[in-house]
Amino acid sequence: MLLAYRCALASERVTATAIEANEFPQLSQELGVWAVPRVVVDGEPRWDGAVPEPEFLRRILAPAA
Amino acid sequence: MPVLRPEEEEKVRGWFAELERPVELLVGLGPEETPLAGSGDVDFGAEMVRVCEGLAELGDRVSCRVEQQPDGFPRFPAVAIRPDGRDVGVRYDGLPWGYELGSLVGAVVEAGRSEPSLRPESIAALGELERELALDVFVTPT
Repeated sequence: MLLAYRCALASERVTATAIEANEFPQLSQELGVWAVPRVVVDGEPRWDGAVPEPEFLRRILAPAA
Repeated sequence: MPVLRPEEEEKVRGWFAELERPVELLVGLGPEETPLAGSGDVDFGAEMVRVCEGLAELGDRVSCRVEQQPDGFPRFPAVAIRPDGRDVGVRYDGLPWGYELGSLVGAVVEAGRSEPSLRPESIAALGELERELALDVFVTPT
């Protein structure tokens, strides 16, 4: 989560929100959240789990598949 | 009941004492979604206020403000972490308890830095962004 926050603090174009899955079950279900952390980029679920900073940047900046 | 154990509180006081700029916690309260069964009778909004006010007591540069349905909050309760009281798009939706309280503390520490803590190459890559990018990370307290 901190990597996402660091990205938002480093760029005015980036926003980062942690969403507590149990408290928002409807949204979690819509986005198929079964494992955490689940990273969603521009509303599209992208991956589950923590990754190192270079890989995190590569993934969030890559176009959606 | 205190937000943190005494030994954790001491650590957080130390981190908050190092903040290079003020950080405001803007708590947004409003209509809440029904959480999953098993969440008990927790008043999530009241608990969010208690947690954030508790954190604000641990550092002179950390403050807490509570608003009903502030602009830009799609879900409640939630807290925006605002360096110098500015909205920079950093938010936690839901009550950060257990392990996830560390994410909120970490967000305050990061927001309190005057320079980003990412690697230079990461900052450079973000600097080339020509569009808005919304990162949502689903978490669960453990």
